[in-house]
Amino acid sequence: MTLEDDLASAAATGNTAGVEDLLRKGADVNGVNKYGRTPLQVMMMGSTAVARLLLTRGSRPNVADRSTGTTPLHDAAREGFLDTVKILLEFSANPVAVDNSNCQPVDLARERGYGDVVAFLESL
Amino acid sequence: MAQGASFPYEQVAEIGGGAYGTVYKARDVESGKFVALKSVRVQTDQDGLPISTVREVALLKRLEQFDHPNVVRLMDVCAIQRTDQETKVTLVFEHVDQDLKTYLEKAPVPGLPPDRIKDLMRQLLCGLGFLHSNRVMHRDLKPENILVTSQGQVKLADFGLARIYSCHMALTPVVVTLWYRPPEVLLRSSYATPVDIWSTGCIFAEMFRRKPLFCGESEADQLGKIFEVIGLPSEEEWPKDVTISRKHFPPLFPRPITDFVPEMDEQGAELMLEMLTFDPLKRISALNALEHEYLKEEETPDTERESVAVP
Repeated sequence: MTLEDDLASAAATGNTAGVEDLLRKGADVNGVNKYGRTPLQVMMMGSTAVARLLLTRGSRPNVADRSTGTTPLHDAAREGFLDTVKILLEFSANPVAVDNSNCQPVDLARERGYGDVVAFLESL
Repeated sequence: MAQGASFPYEQVAEIGGGAYGTVYKARDVESGKFVALKSVRVQTDQDGLPISTVREVALLKRLEQFDHPNVVRLMDVCAIQRTDQETKVTLVFEHVDQDLKTYLEKAPVPGLPPDRIKDLMRQLLCGLGFLHSNRVMHRDLKPENILVTSQGQVKLADFGLARIYSCHMALTPVVVTLWYRPPEVLLRSSYATPVDIWSTGCIFAEMFRRKPLFCGESEADQLGKIFEVIGLPSEEEWPKDVTISRKHFPPLFPRPITDFVPEMDEQGAELMLEMLTFDPLKRISALNALEHEYLKEEETPDTERESVAVP
């Protein structure tokens, strides 16, 4: 296990203290784990604390999934986490990014019926 | 069970590990959604999978047919034969990208509103009542495996796996938290559905406190912390034939639960004590807890729940 593997796991489990600790130990905030994903791509989408911490430390918000073209904003919108959507946009996530199915984040939120996320993304 | 010809799930990160195998966050590349993959390696012979594994998987699949709103969906089960002697069984569950721990952490000061706590407790007990009526015990309920969707819907995860694992895993010591364990498990005397109610009582308190109620560092320390709140049980209540003697602990009297959970009303305190009852046979059941005065009044209709803002 590399530091980047651990960092991705800490982010995926919403372990803010663990993320902080691994970054202090020198884990690369934009490094990929053994599955080729950055911590922001795999983070627990409901964890605003982890999202803000990673982005504040320079995590690139627009890295797309190598298989599906999904960005973190797509995932946050599809799961209905308006608070995380707002943080990603604050750090310059692209609101009109398209995944391999040609969907934008707002399309995924609409498909799942998350009216608040749809309204917010449409108001931009 | 699918024989693993097409496996449309791509692992993206490890989210748990243990003696039994690893838990992964993965993506269903067809739908784009996240899933949780839980694998267990089982020994096989010429008859195929052990009957105990088949039975447990069948039970989980049967539960799935009820489509209960407060347990995670079991989406798929795959068996991949590794060698003549070993097969990897992978359970594919719905992945909810927020747990109760994170949900409580992000609630603004002074914490969750009392009505929100009540709603979470109703849903949690509803899921638990469903599992218990189907003779499934969770055994390891904690804020990390109580999931909360962005719309505030509670979904229990990791249930029904304990038996699948314990059938096959070597007894490797794994680090597990003691904080939600009931006295009977700490004393190794009995294990049945009341185990989960104790854990629920601890979690109920944590919803108000936003920090755990009993943070023991060893099994004896955990019991000591419990008795500081509920008092030392009487000699008659202490289970027979257990390794830890009652004499080991100082004679403590119960203290008002509101000393530890100050923001709670009287009915809430009453229900919490019914859950944090030493004797598992006297502890309230999930279904009776749902009928308790604290949870009974003003049912929140589903339509209203949808509109409840996430804190």
